[in-house]
Amino acid sequence: MKNPDEPLFDEGDIKDGSGATAHRAVRERIQQLADKQPYAVLCVQGEGQPYGALVAFAFSEDLRHAVFVTPVATRKYRLLSECDHVALVIDNRPNKPDELMEIEAVTVTGRSQMIERGGEFDQWAELLVTRHPYLKSFVKAATCALFRVDVVRFLHVARFQEVNQWIPSAHS
Amino acid sequence: MDSERPLLIPLDAPGHWDEQIVGGKAAKLAQLACGGFDVPRGFCLTTWAYQTFVKDAGITAAIRMELGRKSMDDMRWEEIWDAALRIRATFLAQPLTRLLRETVAAGLRGFDTSTPLAVRSSAIGEDSAGRSFAGLHESFIGVRGRQAVEDAVRLVWASLWSDAALLYRKELGLDPAHSRMAVLVQEMIYADRSGVAFARDPRDIGKEHAVIESVPGPCSLLVDGVVDPDHWELDRKTHGIIAWLPGQRNDAEDDAPLLESRELEHILETLLSVEQLFGWSPDMEWTGRSDALTVLQARPITAAALDEDEKRTWCLTLRPGDARLKQLRKRVAEQLIPELEAAGQALAAEELNLLDDQQLADTIVQRSAAIANWKKIYWEDFIPFAHGVRRLAMYYNDAVQAEDPYEFVGLLRNQPLVAKQRNNAIGQLAQQLAANDVLRSAVERLLAQCAGSLHWPTFRDSLMRIADGAENFLRGFDVLNERFLDIVYDQERLHDQPEPMLRNLIELSRAPYASLGDESVAGVSVAALEKRLLDAVGPERRDEALDVIETGRVSWKLRDDDNLLVARLESQLLRALDVAAKRLRAVGRLSGEVHPNDAHVEPLVRALREPTTCPVTLELVAKVRPKDLSKASPGETPRQLIGQPASPGVATGAVRCIHGRGDLGKFRQGEVLVCDAIQPTMTHLVPLAGAIVERRGGMLIHGAIIARELGIPCVNGVRNAAEILKNGTLVTVDGHLGIVTVGAAEFDLELGVECI
Repeated sequence: MKNPDEPLFDEGDIKDGSGATAHRAVRERIQQLADKQPYAVLCVQGEGQPYGALVAFAFSEDLRHAVFVTPVATRKYRLLSECDHVALVIDNRPNKPDELMEIEAVTVTGRSQMIERGGEFDQWAELLVTRHPYLKSFVKAATCALFRVDVVRFLHVARFQEVNQWIPSAHS
Repeated sequence: MDSERPLLIPLDAPGHWDEQIVGGKAAKLAQLACGGFDVPRGFCLTTWAYQTFVKDAGITAAIRMELGRKSMDDMRWEEIWDAALRIRATFLAQPLTRLLRETVAAGLRGFDTSTPLAVRSSAIGEDSAGRSFAGLHESFIGVRGRQAVEDAVRLVWASLWSDAALLYRKELGLDPAHSRMAVLVQEMIYADRSGVAFARDPRDIGKEHAVIESVPGPCSLLVDGVVDPDHWELDRKTHGIIAWLPGQRNDAEDDAPLLESRELEHILETLLSVEQLFGWSPDMEWTGRSDALTVLQARPITAAALDEDEKRTWCLTLRPGDARLKQLRKRVAEQLIPELEAAGQALAAEELNLLDDQQLADTIVQRSAAIANWKKIYWEDFIPFAHGVRRLAMYYNDAVQAEDPYEFVGLLRNQPLVAKQRNNAIGQLAQQLAANDVLRSAVERLLAQCAGSLHWPTFRDSLMRIADGAENFLRGFDVLNERFLDIVYDQERLHDQPEPMLRNLIELSRAPYASLGDESVAGVSVAALEKRLLDAVGPERRDEALDVIETGRVSWKLRDDDNLLVARLESQLLRALDVAAKRLRAVGRLSGEVHPNDAHVEPLVRALREPTTCPVTLELVAKVRPKDLSKASPGETPRQLIGQPASPGVATGAVRCIHGRGDLGKFRQGEVLVCDAIQPTMTHLVPLAGAIVERRGGMLIHGAIIARELGIPCVNGVRNAAEILKNGTLVTVDGHLGIVTVGAAEFDLELGVECI
């Protein structure tokens, strides 16, 4: 059986069906959403129980990685320690129900990894702090852990049910 | 530069009087300059410049985070000051962008690099006709060179969020997303006379009188209250002098008025011309005389704006200038504290049993009056002088621009506080117990037998009988009791209640000995921090810096000592009341078992003075406890409480709430000390604590400073901490982030965190 986080489709399966142009368009829309929205819902799981929490995030330029930070004395930290399969939901939903068709959302699936201090820590921390300068001392705090999500796929949703997938590793 | 959104406008550029762009002060000065009045030449960095800076530096989000941590209505003044300090540090940490640096450089092109400049706040709406918010924002004088101007500009911008401005946030409509501040940069004008002038007497606006005040030297001497001015009242129509009141100045060369009548006439004419230009009666700051008269500022006269919030008005007085701080330091350190100490010692030495009833009544009245007098001094002198520590903070941060805005606290270590001397005495007794198992076991056994009703003479005799070393220990305990525990805590004398301290000593004897001020715990040494500051200010300001450090240290020491010394005085009143109560009970003139406290002065004194008074009954006065403000719904439990990260580290332990004296003896090593506020009377418990949680917030309060010295995690400013958290509840205190997690840890505490 296929690993659920392995690609389900290859490039030709992209819904728009128009090849490279279409995938660039979706990538741009994902990029736009990731650039505009500072916060995402982080989805984690443990012992059969799903759990969600808001996090401030930043993506690497190639969209292959996202970073976020959490205090260690939290449920999400414990669950992340148990299971590295995660999702991030990023959206631009307004507060008015009649604007449903304006909503764009992207679900990012991937694997999380805690970045130990030293080594690459400063580089990933800088990525997050550049986007969220007010988190500088939070990221530095000894009781906070920095996580990197290695993205497997993006699922972009627009116009209520129009869904496109983009897999960064397939389009380097 | 975007002409629609100019970053810089010269002061004399015609037509740029939009207060939204240049702020109130600059708008009025620009109008005066264009109206032909002499104003110091200069330029205005507009509110667009502020907006560019905060947007590029991401400061808006930082301000929002700082102010959103807790409802500002729940913040004490000290917490607001802390928030303002951190915001100020955020502004200082961000350099001006290239565009803004070029803008400042363009503005300075007309000035020689050695020209002293004034860098002044010009906030929107600060001087409206309805109300003046003068003094809420900062201005700097004598600034020389581009870098110094850039630094001063950032500090003026930061002062939009000063502690005082935050107190008036509602009236000012402060909003991180929209509030902005312009900055005026002007040439300094030095003259031998300066002052303020009012087109109408602000005390009686209806009278046809104008008022002029003058000091020798710069206007700041008058505005800051350093020099008492000469004061004139003039007839607005005839320009004749109605009254002259000379200023009280020690160094006055002679008694002659500072201004001659023709000079007064010239100031009055200028004042009335300004009134004509604006259409309202001005309050004008000026410098120079006759033809060299320069207008520094003009704003509408506001009737003495009485703030209905007395507490807030009082808070604003807690920011004395350097000159006033120096006066206070001398008065407090050299006069008041020695007097307070001597008063406590004299009263403690008085043998009350030798007094007759009338004399006892007299001494009770005298003691009560002395306490009232010292409490007045406490509010009028001691609390304003506590600003010395804050002054040190600002001075250190401005010079060193340290990443941690509380790095300066290290300079306060190793001060000979009374509480530290007390804690050392306690530590030595605990070490005696640690070194003598037989003695410790004996003390424990006797304490277990008495279970809350220890009879001291019996305890002493028993201990002497059963344990070697008891005599030495008890002698030391007596010294501790007489010297340091003759104080009031929770409306009772600790002196009369040795049991809690004995229980604390047992616990301390089991804990590793921790001495406050241990450099190995505290990090960077005091000498290294001092050098850091002195290197930053340079040799020219070395003496000034050493003076600020000294004032900060004396201020910090006082902040701790004054509480204990006043508590010692209060103890002497309770001692006299106890003697009176025993005496009256012995002859059947006092019924009931109520322990007297300071609320019972009047009935006891009356009974002593009037032997025929019917039997007196003392009313039980309930102890004041903080109200439980928590409104939990059924099924609702707190999981994570937020406060201020006051001392770094993380620890898990069981809660022990200290509500009063009865709780002191129950404290066990490793427990999390939860209280309304750690008082100097209970700091000896801190070395036992695994962590500290306080309702009272602030980085410079007793608990926070001691916790940092001992390396114990501390979170303070937690709303209703002592009411929400219950004894025995497991909590994790994260002093890095200011978080208290309630309940059993269901997460792995990694990073070397120790679970207790």
